[in-house]
Amino acid sequence: MRALYEQAESATAQVMEGMVSRPSFGSLLGMATENVAALTRISADLADLWWRNLRIAGRADITRLARQLNRTEDKLERLLQEVEALRDEVARERSGSGAT
Amino acid sequence: MSALGRIARAPVDALSLANILLTTDDAVIGATPREIVWTHRRTTLYRYRSDRRMHPVPLLLVFALINRPEIFDLRPGGSLVEFLLDQGFDVFLLDWGYPDEEDAEIGLDDYVCDELPWAIRETLRSSEADELTLVGWCIGATLCAMYCGLDDPGEQTAVRNLVLLTMPIDGRRSTYARWVGSPDFDARRIAEQFRVLPGGLVDIANKLLKPVTNYWSTYRRLALSVSDGTAQPDVYQPMAKWIADNPNFPGRAWADWIELMYRDGSLASGQTRLRGRSVDLRRIEQNVLVVTAAADHIAPRQGTTPIFDLVSSSDVTHFDRAGGHIGLVAGSAARRELWPDIAAWLDERSRQ
Repeated sequence: MRALYEQAESATAQVMEGMVSRPSFGSLLGMATENVAALTRISADLADLWWRNLRIAGRADITRLARQLNRTEDKLERLLQEVEALRDEVARERSGSGAT
Repeated sequence: MSALGRIARAPVDALSLANILLTTDDAVIGATPREIVWTHRRTTLYRYRSDRRMHPVPLLLVFALINRPEIFDLRPGGSLVEFLLDQGFDVFLLDWGYPDEEDAEIGLDDYVCDELPWAIRETLRSSEADELTLVGWCIGATLCAMYCGLDDPGEQTAVRNLVLLTMPIDGRRSTYARWVGSPDFDARRIAEQFRVLPGGLVDIANKLLKPVTNYWSTYRRLALSVSDGTAQPDVYQPMAKWIADNPNFPGRAWADWIELMYRDGSLASGQTRLRGRSVDLRRIEQNVLVVTAAADHIAPRQGTTPIFDLVSSSDVTHFDRAGGHIGLVAGSAARRELWPDIAAWLDERSRQ
């Protein structure tokens, strides 16, 4: 009985895998994804508008601030790398002059 | 057990099954002690210290942009990190973190031209080594290969060995390509709308590749193992917890990935450009180990094998084993079947 069931399940799995691998399924999935994306964007924009009208920071404001923080962190990282490179160079020169 | 016995046990089995499913989130994953070496934005570099370090060349583990890198350190007794530490390797792990809306503008170029080289730099500084081994898995492997194929030959000399686990480089013949490869599928517009692709959505897409297996057979087999008394919650739960943990995919990086992997196939033809720099896998001269899985439906083997016609390395090894995309390296058989072979390959190439 169990073997029979597993055989049926395996056959169903194969049929389903064949079905999802068709371009037509891909088109449907693509359209569904686009719709979900658009709905997500519309609802997020509406929610932001609501909060903004209440003079409260919304997700978009937090995102903008976080992006500014990201840019600052990028600059800091590059600066740190420059400092470390200079420190390594000085260390190398010192060890070089110490050797001679 | 008789049919009557099974019926009598059904309530107990149902309770056991529910317990396993409901307490999955309590499973401990990524338990090996580690320390933070470096952070930048969402990216974190961790170091796992080996108390029996024998190899001067450290390992830097790089996982995909989907799911979490804890798969390298899944559970005590079933952790690749733990195994490598036991083998005397100094292990570093790159964690891409959980991207959110503010990270929507991060593209593949940021990962390949900034985050990865910076993590390599910090790994070398921290371990006081001149060279390292890059171990990439899935998209992480592609990022590592792209980094080694960048057009500045001086920069990548610190990478001595390159280990590529189930790596896609040309996905144009995969099921994904049938979904997203059509010109009607506007990945850029979707990325702009979402800003970051929700991790749950990416997970659904991955599971839809094998819908019956992922949404039904897994749970049926678990129920059956509970009923047979062979269920292993300590094995099932960490993996189930890891599978359910899906970070968002930065929108631009996702659209870049779709184009690179499923549309133009530019990586295989050496036409990829990142920030004006060309990425050509023919520039890879490191010792290369490629691991492919026979039953890999995420990154099918035929999407990896073009690498052998591309790399310029004189030392190229290929392990082609039975297993799936994740199970091959993280499954219960990996510890005795694959990890010792990877460690032996690394051992020969990690000496002074």
